Amino acid sequence: MKPGVFLVKLLEIALIFFIILTLLFFLFRLSPGDPVSKMVDPMLTPEDMDHLISQMGLDRPVWEQYLIYVKNFFTGRFGVSFHYGEPVKDIIKQRLGWTILLFTTSTVMAAFAGVYLGKIAAWKKNSRLDNIMSISALVCYTLFIPWFALLLLWGLGYQLNLFPLGGVLTPELWVGAGSFVAKALDLAHHMVLPLMTLFIINLGSYLLLMRSSMLSVLQEDYIITARAKGLGETVIRDKHAAKNAALPVITSVGLNLAFSINGGALTEQIFTWPGIGRELIFAVSNNDYPLAQACFLLIALVVLVANLIVDLLYAWVDPRITY
Amino acid sequence: MRPGIRNMCNRFDRSYSYLSCILIPAVFVLVLAASCHKEKPSLYLKIGLPEAPQSLNLWLGTDANSKRILSQIYQPLYRRHPKTLKIIPWLAAADPVFDPEKSTYTVTLRQAKWSDGSDFTSEDVVFTRQLFFDFKIPGRYSKWKLIHKIDAPDPHTVVFHLKEPSAIFMSRIMTVPIVSKAEWQDVVKKALATEKPLRTLQDHVVTHPMGTGPFVLTQVKKGAYIHMKKNPYFFGTGLTLGGHVLGPYVDDILFRVYGTSDVAILALKKGDIDYYWWDIQAGHLEDLKGQDDIDLYFNKKSALYYLGFNLRKPPFHDRALRRAVATVVDKEFILTRVLQGYGTPMNSVVPSGNHFWYNPDVKTYSHGLPREDRIKAAVKILSTAGYTWQTPPVGEDGSVVEPSPIQLPSGRKMDKFVILTPPADYDPRRAFVGTMVQEWLRDLGMPAFARPMAFTALLDTVKGKHEFDAFILGYGKLNLDPDYLRAFFYSKNDRPRGWNMSGYSNPEFDAIADAQRRTIDPEERQQLIYKMQKIILADLPYLPLYNPNVIEATLNQRFKGWVSKVNGIGNIWSMCTVKPVD
Repeated sequence: MKPGVFLVKLLEIALIFFIILTLLFFLFRLSPGDPVSKMVDPMLTPEDMDHLISQMGLDRPVWEQYLIYVKNFFTGRFGVSFHYGEPVKDIIKQRLGWTILLFTTSTVMAAFAGVYLGKIAAWKKNSRLDNIMSISALVCYTLFIPWFALLLLWGLGYQLNLFPLGGVLTPELWVGAGSFVAKALDLAHHMVLPLMTLFIINLGSYLLLMRSSMLSVLQEDYIITARAKGLGETVIRDKHAAKNAALPVITSVGLNLAFSINGGALTEQIFTWPGIGRELIFAVSNNDYPLAQACFLLIALVVLVANLIVDLLYAWVDPRITY
Repeated sequence: MRPGIRNMCNRFDRSYSYLSCILIPAVFVLVLAASCHKEKPSLYLKIGLPEAPQSLNLWLGTDANSKRILSQIYQPLYRRHPKTLKIIPWLAAADPVFDPEKSTYTVTLRQAKWSDGSDFTSEDVVFTRQLFFDFKIPGRYSKWKLIHKIDAPDPHTVVFHLKEPSAIFMSRIMTVPIVSKAEWQDVVKKALATEKPLRTLQDHVVTHPMGTGPFVLTQVKKGAYIHMKKNPYFFGTGLTLGGHVLGPYVDDILFRVYGTSDVAILALKKGDIDYYWWDIQAGHLEDLKGQDDIDLYFNKKSALYYLGFNLRKPPFHDRALRRAVATVVDKEFILTRVLQGYGTPMNSVVPSGNHFWYNPDVKTYSHGLPREDRIKAAVKILSTAGYTWQTPPVGEDGSVVEPSPIQLPSGRKMDKFVILTPPADYDPRRAFVGTMVQEWLRDLGMPAFARPMAFTALLDTVKGKHEFDAFILGYGKLNLDPDYLRAFFYSKNDRPRGWNMSGYSNPEFDAIADAQRRTIDPEERQQLIYKMQKIILADLPYLPLYNPNVIEATLNQRFKGWVSKVNGIGNIWSMCTVKPVD
């Protein structure tokens, strides 16, 4: 990518990010209610509620709040969560680690497995293996996450007692003097079911995407040329077809990785995984403006940067694409 | 293809080949982890919570889950007896001595200690009161401002000087937790110097709160668990209070969160937790009843679920119409079908479980009547008030038929109106009851439409903007002092964010509401509260609908001794009496 084009792209990202920053602020202010609307304690008088609102700085004119918000953002102050009373930065830091651990791991594992299996399915098009893989992938792709997650918890967690019923660790082990290895194994033990759920669901989409991309690549002239040159089947499949077919999967993985910081509220809820997805939903429903805004801004930033990286990667992998 | 890319592709190629070499060991390690790691048996009392506590800062953590933790730490001077519900001494050594001439209450304190071993003294009570005033603590200041002066003549005596005698002194002022001066004085000083003192106080991170309660906080692993240990300085150990010899008899408590009730119930059945501190839905009962190691508890709830009307505008400004609605609503159906038999239909705005204040002799509407009779009774009320139909709901032969749209006494057709309810994912019961009320009203030719609305938006519409016709809401945990009737129906509370959401105004009611606050004698006050209930049930700004039971479950293999009371077994009494099974 030429430096000029790169600079323009960066400016575009900055502009889009600023628009998102502004939109987010006004969307939250336009939504019904405020952070104290949900308080249903009859002990609280209207004066108490007004007092709370003023302490949150929400009694100031909206334009003034907006200017403070923009200024705070550009000076790196994301504020304090109305709900938790903790700095938003700290909350995100705590939650993000758990989300990245689970969702990024599952995305990467599912992408590798999906590309590998999708390549084989396409190569053996219309065979029994292809049919089994395609139908299984469709089933995985359309699984209803809460149902599937609960089924795994019931079957493997409760009936067979192989895995814990949610959470990230066993409190008794961590309260006591558990060794580092025991704690690491405990964490891995808790990760199995949520990871399995996400892996199976993601695998379907990557397999189908790779298969369809591979099928179209196999029609290309250079594949016929490769066959005419007498190259082996595995070489044609893996070196000539699969690499080109993997381009749409790279885009998909890139964006999915970016969106994975958003977590999956449903998965996190069912497995009681303390990630950021659950927190985001909670922040929005409680009108916790500082936390919700910061979460959305983080997602926006990561998606914009991921888009840029995918663009760069495309040009690097495929020399036909130039900017 | 570029050479660099070719190299990368070769690496990719190898990675595909090695995919199975990565995945298979990964799965193997995880399965090994599953088989190697087994929990050690222990005597931790393990309690499941539906959500993580909001905060362990007392001034911010006002949600139910924070209170569950904080109530083990911070203690009040008085609390309610678990059976009689009377207010009994807790951190106080005896009942207060009231001097009617000076309007003072003198309270003697117990010889108690804070969890760091320092003495609990009257200075702490004085400090707590000052903190409420300095920060105008929401929910506290408005009640404590009845006290115009507080004295601490010695370390174990506190004298409260009231502006005027107050019936809520014991129930609303003496039952709030007292904090340690030593723990909070520096925080308070710093917070008061800031631009937003209350917010600064609420944002103070509390890691090891100091209390006088049965347990102390030892470790919080965010998103995973909360660990509490027995407080060796707990003043109640060995004392008989509320009919129980207090412990605690448990050394450690572990709280952990379960994201859904389904998973929490599985954890209880599996033995991962000893108690799930949340109401169990009736749908889970059949499953739990069949398990010998699970005990079930059914207790009354201090709750009020009701249909509220907007009295500020037509059509519900008309009392006759509200009475007709009350007549046609089938509370028995709600009890049997919606609550599946686990609850009580509500006839008054005070729950029947609150037996001292509940008035059983209020006006009831169509109690136990079949559908046809309810419709006939409602039609009679409406016809008398001047409402008409082209085709009335009751034919000339006395049979119930599908009516034409109802017409107002003015002859105009009734406009469509909306019954707002919370959405089914927030509370399926209220959403379903809304739909049923809609159908019952349509039996009278009323153009009723039930509309679920997001909870925050619903409260904003009803409480903030007053832009509604009718709504279904509820309070899951009402204070046992009935002074909330004043908050709900006092005419001055008809304002944005005020609790008089219906816009009810009745000078007679207001006068009694004021009088009951000044009446110290419980029996005399009881009669006034009875009158307030009678007026409300006659005027019907709210139609009380139902009160579900609190259904809870415990595992009986490791611990026993849970104390049942109104609102369930999740209470300080249980925490002080639960002991390991022999």
